Amino acid sequence: MASTSQSKASTSRPELREQYQIIGSFQPAIHIPQNWNYETSHPLFRAYMHPPHDVGGQRDVAGKYEEKEEEGWELNTYVTCETLGWRGIWNSEERRRRADNDLGYTLYLGLPYYGRWLWAATRMLIDKKRFSLPELLAKIDEVKARYERQ
Amino acid sequence: MTEQHTHTLGMHPPAPQVDEVSDYEILEIAVRELAIEHGLFTAEDHRRFTEWAERIGPTGGSRLIAKAWTDPAFKKRVMDNATEACKEIGIDWSEPTGFGTPSDYMNLRVLENTPKLHHVIVCTLCSCYPRPLLGMSPEWYRSTNYRRRLVRWPREVLAELGLIVPPDVEVRVEDSNQKCRFMVMPMRPEGTDNWSEEQLAEIVTRDCMIGVAMPKAGRTEDIRRPVHKARRPPQPATVQ
Amino acid sequence: MKDSDSNASETHARFKVGDRVRVKNMPLMFYTRTQNYARDIEGTIVELTYKDLVPEDEAFNFDGVLDQYYIIRFRQKDIWEEYPFENDTLQTESPDRWLEPVSH
Repeated sequence: MASTSQSKASTSRPELREQYQIIGSFQPAIHIPQNWNYETSHPLFRAYMHPPHDVGGQRDVAGKYEEKEEEGWELNTYVTCETLGWRGIWNSEERRRRADNDLGYTLYLGLPYYGRWLWAATRMLIDKKRFSLPELLAKIDEVKARYERQ
Repeated sequence: MTEQHTHTLGMHPPAPQVDEVSDYEILEIAVRELAIEHGLFTAEDHRRFTEWAERIGPTGGSRLIAKAWTDPAFKKRVMDNATEACKEIGIDWSEPTGFGTPSDYMNLRVLENTPKLHHVIVCTLCSCYPRPLLGMSPEWYRSTNYRRRLVRWPREVLAELGLIVPPDVEVRVEDSNQKCRFMVMPMRPEGTDNWSEEQLAEIVTRDCMIGVAMPKAGRTEDIRRPVHKARRPPQPATVQ
Repeated sequence: MKDSDSNASETHARFKVGDRVRVKNMPLMFYTRTQNYARDIEGTIVELTYKDLVPEDEAFNFDGVLDQYYIIRFRQKDIWEEYPFENDTLQTESPDRWLEPVSH
């Protein structure tokens, strides 16, 4: 049908950005499941032992460089981690070892940046018997309940 | 009576539904409360460190560079002992604990650009950054993308960030993987003769001190990049 | 950074500014701050920085020996086979025991 009116763009810019992201993830992949191998080659063993934080030189696509506003929990996490260091409970090398390596590749790449800091501090405090895991679980329930009560 | 600060106790009015609150927010509160209950640190400790974290920003670095540009003797002191020289512009790397922050240490090095040498900084292993002078690192600096690629394809990454370095200028990447912390001293640009320190500081932006931009007369802001907004940003501290 | 208390022993600095060194490729397990890309690469010492625990000790709260740390400069063309720009360099920091001398 003939129309001289300007047609609306079929996708807005934010939707288009999202489309690029989703379509970019349609990549062929050969998936080799691992389930308690009987043996691993030297290169595979070394790769498994490789600390996840050592990413320099790995390939990646053109960057999506953006700024990010900090959440309240992120600022609090940073301060808690540093304050624990200040008061001698741990040092920053231990934090980096735990938050950037001990947690393994899946959590390293999957958790938010400060989610790793928080995970590491929590695990450290339990490892060092500052509080117990049952205590933590009860406290998490208690905190959740405060939100539910509102 | 102990002072209660709404932001450190995580009570943000209006209260959200459970499905709006992130797992991290809940865990953060749980860990902080347990830590305080078990005497690992006090709420006051947390508040003091928070205040330091909210105080830092790139203006310290800008003032250091501007002063070095105008005062050759100060510049020499910066190159000889940068940590100590910071005190002259009001930045003390021993704050707020008296022995430095646990993550930033007290070993600053300033990397001086020349017409034939351009520095750029990264921490491939984590995101080490000279916080006392520049504040908190930008999100892209922490990203695996920047950390993977800057050491191997620096000119490409710099171009994506808006800086093209001519091929006859050496690009030197500083991977801050231990306890030294680094900042770039860019070259003073043309067209700034007889400028005051304040005027000069205005054009020394954060990106120039990381090495992903160069200062220019009239350039008082870094390239505007998309900003991912916070859902629940920190609340201003209120005393109750 | 660990205080140099009277009980902490230190190794002496084996290298000085200008020395050629090679980064050792020690076995990989649990934690290190010596990057994959730097291993077996030759560089030049540009600065002696401080003495401290190695990260492999400090991360585990182990009271090890303090090492001299150095900033080392590498040619990018020595690190990356395909690197096209002749004059570009990279610097990184390393404790003494991760380095070995190079004769030339």
